[in-house]
Amino acid sequence: MTAVAVHGVGTSHFGRQPDRDYLALAHDAVTEALADAGTDSVDAVWVGTVFGPPGIAQRTLRALGITGVPVITVENACASGTTAFAEAAEAVRTGRFGRVLALGLEQMSTAFSGAITPEPTDPEQHAGLALPALYAMSAARYLHLGAVTPEQLAAVSVKNHAHALENPRAQYSGRYTVEEVLDSKMISDPLTLLQCCPTSDGAAAAVLAPASGGGREVGLRGVALRSGAPWNHDSPHVWGFDIVRDTAADALAAAGLDSVTDVDVVEVHDAFTIGEIVTTEALGLVAEGEGGAAAATGVTALGGRHPVNPSGGLLSRGHPLGATGLAQLAEIVWQLRGEAGGRQVDSARIGLIETMGGGVSVLDGNACVVAVLEAP
Amino acid sequence: MSHANTVDPRPRCRLDADDAWRVHGLRCRRCGTVAAYAWPRCPACAGPAEPAAFGPAGTVWSSTVVRIPVPGRTPPFTLAYVDLDDGPRVLAHVPGADTAPAVGGRARLIAPTGSDDLAVETATGSTS
Repeated sequence: MTAVAVHGVGTSHFGRQPDRDYLALAHDAVTEALADAGTDSVDAVWVGTVFGPPGIAQRTLRALGITGVPVITVENACASGTTAFAEAAEAVRTGRFGRVLALGLEQMSTAFSGAITPEPTDPEQHAGLALPALYAMSAARYLHLGAVTPEQLAAVSVKNHAHALENPRAQYSGRYTVEEVLDSKMISDPLTLLQCCPTSDGAAAAVLAPASGGGREVGLRGVALRSGAPWNHDSPHVWGFDIVRDTAADALAAAGLDSVTDVDVVEVHDAFTIGEIVTTEALGLVAEGEGGAAAATGVTALGGRHPVNPSGGLLSRGHPLGATGLAQLAEIVWQLRGEAGGRQVDSARIGLIETMGGGVSVLDGNACVVAVLEAP
Repeated sequence: MSHANTVDPRPRCRLDADDAWRVHGLRCRRCGTVAAYAWPRCPACAGPAEPAAFGPAGTVWSSTVVRIPVPGRTPPFTLAYVDLDDGPRVLAHVPGADTAPAVGGRARLIAPTGSDDLAVETATGSTS
């Protein structure tokens, strides 16, 4: 099998940009990624999008001159971009294609006026379980168990918004206090506005090809993808914990890492504050019940023992669903090359990305992808 | 709210002869997994499913008050995940509750809401 490397990455700006169409967003990401990889052609494209209309991949790519090559569109909820990445990587690893573009694309501001509209073909969403409410259930459970405090939940938002001060592509940034986070508008008890990711438009892209030892190539050590098994009272954990734990175990094994604590920098799926806390525990970066304290005491901050979401995460960068996974990848690539500017994690050698999402009733998430990457 | 061209996917709740509301779902004949839906196979092991009724009593696993607009519903409204005794974890509305009911408290299925959602009443007050 072929060793796979990320040769180039690129992203659009992230934010509400209803005046910019899919093409404009994709143009920014693809142009940057191709230039970063030093190429102008690819052999195939995987596109991740959730709410993009039928044909949006080919409609976008034709205007960038990418035609006549296989184009495959995938949907895996919030992990759509990382799924496109995982499949593109596998295509390179197995020799199916030589150079592959993975593109994540989403325009939310023209699709929804507020939060994502619950999907009526799903029973719990039909019953009104909007995504903030699903995460609120996890947060309320953690509070009940004494596994987190309201102040620790807020600390994740404070940390990630502060990280984003050094990320010019982020939708939001700021120096908030715990009190300001807790006093912001209640969305779904106990989660307040500043604990929820914003509605975003954006695109992100990566060029994958066989590793050739180039000085800017970021190696893919291992990647894993899972879909959710049933989640019910047989699990002692909140929604989404088990799938992240199991996918991470797969990815670490594929990467040949003994422990996740060997990882220097991590981008995780913090669509809501509780999501980052649960994920850092499920990954094994911190012990169960310690995720909130880790955020509050700086363990997961830049300069801490396990920096999490130096980009500002979904909470600050924004969460254009299909683009998010590849935006996480771009951040880790920049970190591992030492190109992350004021948010650089010192001497980062091993990085990890984690994306999970989807509110299909009964299941522990629609999908989760975890990837481990290594510096040039 | 109406969902044109959409078969209602929500669990079926019926008033049984003993005047108790129960969710009519499935139990796997192979692994014993339960679910609140009348699916043809077990979601955990693909084993054969047989019809099973659950409730009316259970325990609140978690709860929240939704304070943002959701199409067809007027915020705020209160939701709970309830682990039905010997049954599945179900999502239910808690009509009339203006705070989230206590996690770990007892709950009991009542008649579905006017929007035909599963509904529970909870024994005690709120967590906050």
